Amino acid sequence: MKKLTVEVCIGTPCYLMGARELIDDMTELQNEYEDKIKFKTLHCIEERCENAPIVKIDGEIYEEMTPDKLREIILERI
Amino acid sequence: MAGNTVSEIVKIKRKIYIELAKQVLNNEIENKISKIPFKIAKEDGERYRCCVHKERAIIEERIKLVLGFDPKLHKNEKPVDLLKKRGQEDCCDNIVNVIELACDSCPIDKYTVTDSCRNCVAHKCVNTCPVDAIVTIQNKAFIDQKKCIECGKCREVCPYGAIHENIRPCVRACSVDALTSNSERKAKIDYEKCVDCGSCIRACPFGAISDSTEIVNVCRTIQKGKRNITALLAPSFVGQFGAKVKPEILKSALKEIGFDEVIEVGLGADLVAVEESQELKEKIMEDDFLLSSCCPSFKKTVQKHFEELKPKISKTVSPMVKIAEKVKEDTGNKTVFIGPCISKKAESCKYDSVDHVLTFEELMCIMVAAEMNLASYEKKEGIKDSSSHGRQFAFSGGLSKVMEDLTEKEIKTVKGNGLDECQKLLNEIMTGETEIDFMEGMACQGGCAGGPANLNKSKVTKKLVELFSNQAEYKRADQNEYTA
Ligand code: FES
Repeated sequence: MKKLTVEVCIGTPCYLMGARELIDDMTELQNEYEDKIKFKTLHCIEERCENAPIVKIDGEIYEEMTPDKLREIILERI
Repeated sequence: MAGNTVSEIVKIKRKIYIELAKQVLNNEIENKISKIPFKIAKEDGERYRCCVHKERAIIEERIKLVLGFDPKLHKNEKPVDLLKKRGQEDCCDNIVNVIELACDSCPIDKYTVTDSCRNCVAHKCVNTCPVDAIVTIQNKAFIDQKKCIECGKCREVCPYGAIHENIRPCVRACSVDALTSNSERKAKIDYEKCVDCGSCIRACPFGAISDSTEIVNVCRTIQKGKRNITALLAPSFVGQFGAKVKPEILKSALKEIGFDEVIEVGLGADLVAVEESQELKEKIMEDDFLLSSCCPSFKKTVQKHFEELKPKISKTVSPMVKIAEKVKEDTGNKTVFIGPCISKKAESCKYDSVDHVLTFEELMCIMVAAEMNLASYEKKEGIKDSSSHGRQFAFSGGLSKVMEDLTEKEIKTVKGNGLDECQKLLNEIMTGETEIDFMEGMACQGGCAGGPANLNKSKVTKKLVELFSNQAEYKRADQNEYTA
């Protein structure tokens, strides 16, 4: 099965708005669903910084992400 | 707590910082400052308060505080008016301030009876209450709040633990009992007691307590052509700006956004370590003891709450002041201390050598405003001012270890990790229950690595600082070429 690709932006604007917590969460999720999720970090996603933090899931961009929202979207998709 | 989670409140605060910094850097603050509340609280955005107007009004109050004015004293002025007043009028003396408009006046019926009440036969609560405030109504104890004097005796005696103590988060967070409330039940800080630790800022879920900042001042300074500014980086800076942002990257990024020099406060800590260990040796010879002086909130706790012990505080200045004095002497540059600490803002007011204080959080907001993306920035510049010792000042236990190394003696040290533990130890020292040669006092749990303006988790920071400390050229403070 194709893995779900989750890319979290760790650029400075995103980091400041909570990307670190998203990464902590993703690391956990990836450990749990190793065969289902591919997790990467990016340095900026299409300059969407104004609405940081930004996450890309299978190519689709999500703005103003929170750990809860991210978990929900991922669990729904896998 | 140690995680310093990025709540919605924190995000709003950071957005305000970024906007203000941007406007200063783009030279448009006078014209655009009044637009900030509208930009941040949008009509169709998420709502945390009753309406968008209240939200914007609160943002305005926050801006006043960022500019350095106590919102309570400047209720009828707009941020743009205050902007003009800057420099003419002394900005707020107190660093930690309540934004009354944002305070929810949390319910403060201190004791309430919960559903666990069994309406038991003994009625211990009714019998113990010294003011007859408790009656039983419909099979349940009931506290008459008008009579209750909040002594807490009922709670102590209830066999079911059915009486709940309600403490406001800010009051609960304050270790020195400096938080009370005014007649409108808004939080109020007793500045006679407050030691600027910043715990209440972190604790309030409404973000109603906040600290004044120097963001605008610093941005104005770095924006000018000829700047001559030195950034003083507190030892806990490692890893604060992203896991992959190495100290060398941060240093060159700081230069890129407008600082001329960057120096580790760890070097100041080296100088302090050498001086303070000498002081300690003398004290030991006199059969006396020493309390550390590097944490300003600990120092204030002793000064305000343990007056008798005041003479025992080390006379050595803090690493921040030490390094600022050195920079002034060597270069005459302006100095900007950058750290995890709110208390340093108050400390710096007492010393001419420290021109400005920023927190890591505030600096990162300035970085965003200056469009500096550290994640993709690649330039590096070596950073090696401090010895291994100086770098260890960042976490609880570091300083006392350094003192042990430098005095080369068996010394009795205790360390107060967090204000509660500090006060417990100070009490024991006063009564003679604990005998010491040296006490390291750190107001924050984990030491500076656990400070209120950290961006990373305390444990992670400690690990990264330890790694960085191991890489230092010199192991001991007295080997550093500036101290040797
Ligand atoms: S830095 Fe994250 S989107 Fe630009």
